[in-house]
Amino acid sequence: MTNLEKYDKAFIDAFNVAAEDLPNLKYQDIAAWDSVGHMSLMANIEDSFDIMMEVEDIMDFSSYAHGKEILKANYEVDIEG
Amino acid sequence: MKNKILSGKNILVTGTARGMGRQMVETFAEMSANVFAHARKFTEQHADYCKEIADKFDTKIIPVYFELTNADEIKRGISEIRATKIPVNGLVNNAGITFNALFQMTTMEDVRNQFEVNFFAPFLLTQYIVKLMIRNKSGSIVNISSSAALDGNSGKSAYGSSKAALLCMTRCLSEELAANGIRANAICPGVTETDMVATMPDYAVNLQLESTFLGKFGKVSDIANVAAFLLSDYSSYITGQFIRVDGGVTEYGKRQS
Repeated sequence: MTNLEKYDKAFIDAFNVAAEDLPNLKYQDIAAWDSVGHMSLMANIEDSFDIMMEVEDIMDFSSYAHGKEILKANYEVDIEG
Repeated sequence: MKNKILSGKNILVTGTARGMGRQMVETFAEMSANVFAHARKFTEQHADYCKEIADKFDTKIIPVYFELTNADEIKRGISEIRATKIPVNGLVNNAGITFNALFQMTTMEDVRNQFEVNFFAPFLLTQYIVKLMIRNKSGSIVNISSSAALDGNSGKSAYGSSKAALLCMTRCLSEELAANGIRANAICPGVTETDMVATMPDYAVNLQLESTFLGKFGKVSDIANVAAFLLSDYSSYITGQFIRVDGGVTEYGKRQS
């Protein structure tokens, strides 16, 4: 499984959303991505990439797109690579 | 033989080198739990104790060593726990330090030391552990606070305040984490027979005994048993509660201890 597939799966498992809806998805765009869902997403991502995210990054993780930037900048996880 | 009410549970207990934490390792193991037994640093004595308890009750007792006042150390310790791939079902924030001094004799360094160990450390540790619990949509957090947090006794302004902060955290967590199936409760022990009692002046010890309905100090097993109940499924409808385990202290005792 590629990093992109892992990343998408983390969202799909957490929010039960379609893959085609992911690129523009933002925090609180959908009911499932509320504060509770956010923590489930963070847990999925930590498991998928075997990382431990800092609180600042969890707070900053505001969209599908920005999440990729955070993972690349702070955890050496390149989703697009 | 105790009821195996913790069968299938994996529980992290902080501060297991002595006192309540050490007792909890044995009590939980006897109730069939696997235990991550935290201590500040490795000692042969602690490692041997963990092995002895594991053999005695045929459970896993996994020692984990990290300094609770160092955020990087906490992170490293959590990484070790994650690496075991054993899900964490329960957390007991037991590690703590005590301090007795009148308000006007308490330095800000004293206050910071109390909060560092009694509040900031469990706050950060719990943040990490909650992320592990969310994966399973269940968990039980037990914070060991103190009757001093509720009573506000003379000489306990720093210690009691740090433990009161832990109570507030408990109540907040119980509401925030309920949707994830995670419960949070606190135990408020009265005077219990631990090393900490040795720091109390004699007059306070005697006064406390006289002011307790049951006329005796609690044993560490009394605290461990209540913690076991809160970690078990027998308390599945209890969250956000502060449970006094103090032998019944009179109002006079609450004011004077």
